[in-house]
Amino acid sequence: MHSDIEEMSESLVRIFENVLLTEEKSLSRGYFSDLSLAEMHTLTAIGPYEAKTMSQTAQSLGITTGTLTVSIDRLVKKGYVIRRRDDRDKRIVRISLTKNGKLACRMHSKFHRVLAKRILEPYGEEDRDKLLVLVKQIDVHVAELLARYEGAEAEEKIRSTAKEIADNNNLKDKKEN
Amino acid sequence: MEDPSGPRERKADDVLKKKDMITDDIVRGLSQALNTSPTDISLDLSLRRDLILDSLQLYEMVINLEEAYEIRLPDELLDEIDTVEDVVNLVYQLTTAG
Repeated sequence: MHSDIEEMSESLVRIFENVLLTEEKSLSRGYFSDLSLAEMHTLTAIGPYEAKTMSQTAQSLGITTGTLTVSIDRLVKKGYVIRRRDDRDKRIVRISLTKNGKLACRMHSKFHRVLAKRILEPYGEEDRDKLLVLVKQIDVHVAELLARYEGAEAEEKIRSTAKEIADNNNLKDKKEN
Repeated sequence: MEDPSGPRERKADDVLKKKDMITDDIVRGLSQALNTSPTDISLDLSLRRDLILDSLQLYEMVINLEEAYEIRLPDELLDEIDTVEDVVNLVYQLTTAG
């Protein structure tokens, strides 16, 4: 017999994988089949309204601005994103969605909404409320777990930078001596 | 020549003019999207049931309205609309709010 932990673990992994697979399949069969799922998520991170900076968007996607630049180059070529320099500060690059980009973004948001609607549909108001409380708790827990890893990564980076500086100093000292 | 109507009549007139303008824009947009005559689109028709507007056509109309009137029409609001008149009223409310 499966323990609660095993059942929870298997369900979580399955939900995660199946949501991703469903998203990918719906995308490949829909109007925007020239977009990858990662590109669609980039459009969603930019959003259909005001322009965002590259660093804002990279941060919300959890990627570096270098990685984002490659993706934005492709999305500009495909006609989904507009990239322009800020009028006041030419160092800042702002990105926003074209009409087609907005359309793709909104269609994808609809996919998420339909998924949520279908999950909630069979339940009455009371059960929905309970389910939402539990799902939010899981969401917070996973976000905390991620933050802990990100914190550890940042600490590691600081440590390795400090080590590099120390090594460089040692090297300099040796050379001078 | 001086306008003989009082401020209340003028305000009602402005509301009608603005609603007419929004109605024209929406009807024109729908007739283009559905490749049909604007005279075939009346205010009481349901977007989804009568005009059989699919999600893509609906969002195209929504994005055009958002850009033309500098408003936001999130999905939560779109869930509430059924007829062409609902869209006209919603756009009117959002353009006059604040």
